[in-house]
Amino acid sequence: MTMEQFLEKEERIDKINEKLNRPIIGIAYIFGILFVGLIAYILRFMIVDKDEVIANAANSRLDSFAADVVRGDIVTTDGKVIATNNGDDRYYPCGDLFAHAVGFSKYTKAGIELVGNYYLLESHAGGFEKFFHTLREESNQGDVVVSTLNYDLQKKAYDCLGNADGAVIVMEPDTGKILAMVSKPDFDPNDIDEVWEEANSEGSTSSVLLNRATQGLYPPGSTFKVLTTLSYMRQYPGKYKKYTYNCVNSEEIFNSVSVHCYGKKTHGEEDLSKALANSCNQAYADIGTKLELGKWKETLESLLYNKNLPYTGASATSRFYLDKDSNKGYVPQTAFGQGDTLVTPLHNAMIISTIANGGLMMKPYMIDSIENYKGKRIKKFSPSSYDTLMTSNEVETLTEYMRKVVTEGTAADYFAGAEYKACGKTGTAEYADGNHDFSWFIGFDDTDKPHIAVSIVVEESDVNGIKATAIARSVMDEYYKLLDK
Amino acid sequence: MANIIINISKYIILLMMILYGFSSFTVIRKEDPHKKNMCLNRQIIYVFVIHFLAYLTFAIQSPEDMVTIIAFYGLQTLIATMYMYLYHFFYPFSTRMITNNMSFLLLIGYIMLTRLNYALARKQFIIATASLILVSFIPLIMDRNKKLRKYGIAYGIIGILALLSVFVIGVEKYGSVNWISVGGISLQPSEFVKILYVFFIASMLSKKRDFRQVVITTAFAGVHMGILALEKDLGAALIFFVIFIFMVYVGTGKFRYMLLFVTGGAMMAGLAFLLFKDKLFNHVLVRVNAWKDPWSDISGSGYQITQSLFAIGSGGYFGSGLTKGSPDVVPVSESDFIFSAIAEEFGVIFAIFLILVCFSGFICFITIAINAKSRFYKTMAVGFAVCYIFQTFLSIGGVTKFIPSTGVTIPLVSYGGSSVLSSLVMFSIMQGISTIENKEAKKVDEERRKLEQTEYDNGAVLRKGRTD
Repeated sequence: MTMEQFLEKEERIDKINEKLNRPIIGIAYIFGILFVGLIAYILRFMIVDKDEVIANAANSRLDSFAADVVRGDIVTTDGKVIATNNGDDRYYPCGDLFAHAVGFSKYTKAGIELVGNYYLLESHAGGFEKFFHTLREESNQGDVVVSTLNYDLQKKAYDCLGNADGAVIVMEPDTGKILAMVSKPDFDPNDIDEVWEEANSEGSTSSVLLNRATQGLYPPGSTFKVLTTLSYMRQYPGKYKKYTYNCVNSEEIFNSVSVHCYGKKTHGEEDLSKALANSCNQAYADIGTKLELGKWKETLESLLYNKNLPYTGASATSRFYLDKDSNKGYVPQTAFGQGDTLVTPLHNAMIISTIANGGLMMKPYMIDSIENYKGKRIKKFSPSSYDTLMTSNEVETLTEYMRKVVTEGTAADYFAGAEYKACGKTGTAEYADGNHDFSWFIGFDDTDKPHIAVSIVVEESDVNGIKATAIARSVMDEYYKLLDK
Repeated sequence: MANIIINISKYIILLMMILYGFSSFTVIRKEDPHKKNMCLNRQIIYVFVIHFLAYLTFAIQSPEDMVTIIAFYGLQTLIATMYMYLYHFFYPFSTRMITNNMSFLLLIGYIMLTRLNYALARKQFIIATASLILVSFIPLIMDRNKKLRKYGIAYGIIGILALLSVFVIGVEKYGSVNWISVGGISLQPSEFVKILYVFFIASMLSKKRDFRQVVITTAFAGVHMGILALEKDLGAALIFFVIFIFMVYVGTGKFRYMLLFVTGGAMMAGLAFLLFKDKLFNHVLVRVNAWKDPWSDISGSGYQITQSLFAIGSGGYFGSGLTKGSPDVVPVSESDFIFSAIAEEFGVIFAIFLILVCFSGFICFITIAINAKSRFYKTMAVGFAVCYIFQTFLSIGGVTKFIPSTGVTIPLVSYGGSSVLSSLVMFSIMQGISTIENKEAKKVDEERRKLEQTEYDNGAVLRKGRTD
């Protein structure tokens, strides 16, 4: 074989080879792209999702962090320490006052102790300090969780609720920050050993550990009329302004159900705004009969009835049972807030906040920021919105109607002489057994510039004489007092 | 004191991993054989530093088992050293990079298994060592026996029979009937049939590449996948399918075949889904749903994947440190979910470099395929390259929630006798191809040099004549 022949042969082989290799290089690229995608996905998980994922309460590793970290403190926005350590035990300086809000960390976790667990067990003490602690096998000091709670408002709400059972939530409508959260009956988290034992003893009916503010399901009573009004406005957009009802008889029949107003009063000729201001059951029973049930349910589900609330702590799901096939006999009761409808105080607070915030619902939250134990800020949680649930026209109309409740309606006596233009809706709901009343109030402090929204429920208000609306007035007054300071 | 050593070890291990990861890519591009060898020697150092520090950590953490740990460590080091050096003594034409990667992955696997369950680690070590001795002969056999390319359909028939064996002597594990039990040892036939299957396609397509041949090959491949689907081993069926389409693409050089098979395969899968939804695909649906939203059922169907994500996330970038995490909470963390265990204790950066090392193994295989002149070996090399990297992708993608989990192991790292043996066979066959093709290349080179010499001599005569 000569050199020429050899080179020719080699060239031929190379040519074939090159042709065969093209698909192989293609395959290498395909898998290259797949692996770049995989690695990018893992990095994205680490950068974006990691914190939220591992903060999940089902992550058993969080507790193993506790071996190296001293659980951090929890403080209010105004700097009061509400959870700290006393030796090896957790200590809650304010006792009952923040019971459900701050929660506890023994046995199981609840409240901020649960939601903030991951941050409390992380330590951002300086690098050197941590390094030396590790060397000496000492624990690092966990980070401080700064909650959105305000000590003075919480104290006011707590005192106003007195001995009554019930719940108070104070929320900032434009951010979703929860400023106060009270639930009674309460307990002293320092005595969690006894409380836990009693609550879990056989045959115990104690609901003391239940946070009524987020997990208590109550009939909404007349506060529900706000939503019935909204549903009516949506189904009769051109006509709702012309709606009138003449409330002359103490009892009237709707869908073969007899309806009377609170205290068997009569209200005379009313438009929609007056019906709300007077909290006229008959007018709302009448409106109920005009509503298309399927669409009604749609409106309520758009406002998160029958849905999980966008809230990181434990919360119950509010219930609205009617749909287009339901028995018409349930309609009148449901329209003015009785029937089988159930709502949590938190959910009601979110709905009223949505109205105060121009229709945009904010996700409620309780952790404002994280600081290391020396007070250096590590992380700030910013407000996040859920969705726009109402139009500006709907919001304006509802606000105007609810203002009337305060100026001339059922809340007028309670808000007399207030320096701010509050609006809201009162409610009296019948207890399941019909013997006792629940007193409700939802509302916000100022129709022009809302600062706070409140949602308050008082159980057995006919017995203890404590009215939700009175609590709302005190809390709002307290807020303005603090604002002036 | 113990803590200092463990903590410092953690960062040195990470550094060594990064160095190894980078060098496994730079070494491919090095031309100078001396520099290349230096680089490969350095890799061995990186591996042994990681290995030493890991076992040092174990020894510090459980001084009562000191003797066992030192003995186990010593044996591993001995075998790995012998393997990495002796192999190239006997097979000078093999690819050193592959032996390095093999040892690296095996040792990482041993470390993690020792951490999780010493008994499993010991078992894995015994099986892997015995396998290593066995598979050492593969390149020799391949080199001596040039008829391997001729058996064609025979590979296919043996493969199908082996797959069918599970219906006769099969055992059910994790919802799939894909194990057989022979004399007390359970085996997963699909792991070995995979190899026959690659031989089958390579042999068929190296003989002829006309339409008829492709149809016959497709029919046999289809039967393989069908049986795997009936065994409810859909992960394996998917791997077989992907091997098939890429091998046919390379073997025939026709992109339209690949297009046809991808659409055809998707339609078949769709049809099978509609027909046998309840019988065969229930656990697939469960897995897909668990992938879409594991958070809605953390304690049920989403348990494995959420635990895996907790592990990866809690470890963070630098890891909790060996023995400091709790990877044992993740179900099957010794095999399918070993990646999460590694990520938790060694950290995500380490884990990403581990992915890169796995990928460099693939690049190595691809390089062998590109350099191979024989169509049989070229197609086969592509088959094994795809088989290796796709399996790795399914495993890691599954535990990180990038794709739905398919219950596939990471070759050589995860625990599992069948998986380790078949992966070692695969790597050794690649060494065989490398040996044969490098020898061939050397032969061609020598021929060229001889011709050049005669040409030069003739030229010298001519030049001499001209000057006269």
